[in-house]
Amino acid sequence: MIPRLLYLPASIGLALLVLPLAALLVKVDWPGLPALLLSPEALQPLGLSLATASVSTVLCLLLGVPLAVVIARSRPRTAGLLRALVTVPLVLPPLVGGIALLSLLGRGGVLGSTLELAGLRIPFTTAAVVIAQTFVALPFLVIAVEGALRTAGIRYERVAATLGAGRGTVFARITLPLVAPGLLAGTVLSFARALGEFGATALFAGNQAGVTRTMPLAIYTAFNGSGVTTDQAVALSLLLIAVAVIILVLVGTRRASVLS
Amino acid sequence: MTPALWKSAVNALLEANLQLTRGSFTLDVQLTLVPGEVLALLGPNGSGKSTVLDLLAGLATPSSGTVSLDGATLVAPGRFVAPEKRAIGLLGQEPLLFPHLSARANVAFALHVGEAQLPTAQAQKQADRWLDRVGLQGFGDRKPGALSGGQQQRVALARALAAGPRVLLLDEPMAALDAETAPFMRQLIREQLAETGTSAIIVTHDIVDAVVLADRVAVLHNGALIDEGATAEVLAAPRNPFVAALAGVNLVVGTAQNGAIVAPDGRIFWVRPTDADLTQATPAAAVFRPASVVVQTERPRNASPRNVWSARVTGIEPGNGGVRLRTSGDPEIIAELTPAAVADLGLQLGSPVWLSVKATDVSAYRR
Repeated sequence: MIPRLLYLPASIGLALLVLPLAALLVKVDWPGLPALLLSPEALQPLGLSLATASVSTVLCLLLGVPLAVVIARSRPRTAGLLRALVTVPLVLPPLVGGIALLSLLGRGGVLGSTLELAGLRIPFTTAAVVIAQTFVALPFLVIAVEGALRTAGIRYERVAATLGAGRGTVFARITLPLVAPGLLAGTVLSFARALGEFGATALFAGNQAGVTRTMPLAIYTAFNGSGVTTDQAVALSLLLIAVAVIILVLVGTRRASVLS
Repeated sequence: MTPALWKSAVNALLEANLQLTRGSFTLDVQLTLVPGEVLALLGPNGSGKSTVLDLLAGLATPSSGTVSLDGATLVAPGRFVAPEKRAIGLLGQEPLLFPHLSARANVAFALHVGEAQLPTAQAQKQADRWLDRVGLQGFGDRKPGALSGGQQQRVALARALAAGPRVLLLDEPMAALDAETAPFMRQLIREQLAETGTSAIIVTHDIVDAVVLADRVAVLHNGALIDEGATAEVLAAPRNPFVAALAGVNLVVGTAQNGAIVAPDGRIFWVRPTDADLTQATPAAAVFRPASVVVQTERPRNASPRNVWSARVTGIEPGNGGVRLRTSGDPEIIAELTPAAVADLGLQLGSPVWLSVKATDVSAYRR
């Protein structure tokens, strides 16, 4: 039972989401596409994006799952505070995140100056790309997994304990499998977020071809740089959309097989 | 020597002295369990029954007190043994089978992490044997979602026992089952506790659970034990309204014989046909409602009720729906009548009466 009045805003909303992408397809220079996509200007950023986003996602899992467990199993007040801290980067413009990362790790930064003495320079390296991506993607994973953990509750964990299972065993064999759907959703979200990350990367890692120029930065460069043609930018955008769709489809089928 | 002293003289398996304060609720309970014993913990809602189980299992921390199991101290000032190191199992209302594991893997998990510490492959094989024991041959591959509520609870029982607990805590294990499944589950618990020699504490609302499963009954009210003793004694002479209401049934604890139950005074009670095997001379109980007892002043000529006997009126009391008539015999049988019927029959203390109960109104349980 849907009130008829809702169909109008619903259609406008859907159009707003779909029409721009459809228009992008219209603008694509289809005959020239293979050459554009197989050029080093396209393949290099794609490779860098996939590599850095993968590393960031792994980091998100290694750091985010434990953080989610701590939040989910804390007392309500502590949990509320921790959840707020984790959510801040989520609502922050990524550009601000980039400036914040520079303030901490940049030249003359709070930690950066110490690292520099040790001979470590992080900004404007591939490592900076990974850190920026992890910074913006981690909240997605934590929120998704924490929600799943709270929904799952502690009843199964208590039963497992009365059967004689220690905390590590309970975590690995009961808790993690129980939150698998949330874990999967969180992983996909954080990978997608890392793949699309632009603002924090641009400020904190720069735009150096082969080192920090990921797909979004390559698109920006192509769009802004020559000013002659935006074909390259459109082609790269199409590539990024294709990657995103492939991931969603892969995850979708996998999720279906988990549920069945 | 009183029974309580005698029990602590024999090495107690479990000894607990627990205090807990939560807001305005205070719990103060002393419990002892001897090896192989099954104790029923009765009490109204909010009396703290489940809290006692949580404290024993280590899922809650007492404000003060001690718990020792087989001589080892589990709880004492400055000492708290984690639930996984207690060897105290818990089976609740809900089966809580791990939803991502098959029935076999659920049981194998307990065999792997529990007392047996079996390697995974061996645990899988042993798990099938446990499923056989609870009547679920061939169900090993099923996920919990593909099992009925009763089947899930049977797997949960197998899993709880497979962990090899020294004491199994049962928290209303039949409460979530339908009326047809509950008796089967009850018998299964009885058999499996006996076969494995597992000591148990069962929290329940249902008098039948106490009758069938427990050797001893303790009654919890407002966080304190107000009555304790052998099941038949506590239920026969209720010392508080809750037990009286719970025991608002006629309970004949006797011996099975040729499909009937023989009371201590020799009366024979024919019962509704059940799954319980009453051909052997084993301890058994007959249970029927006072309202099912028909009271007449002359011997009934219509022979359709199979249980007919004569007795004298030993008490006339106000009851739930009318008048409760106590009658002579061991055990005494209570009949419930309308005040008008009592007047019609001209019943007084000492009046001779004929009582009858249809066999179909009498349930039988093996003990």
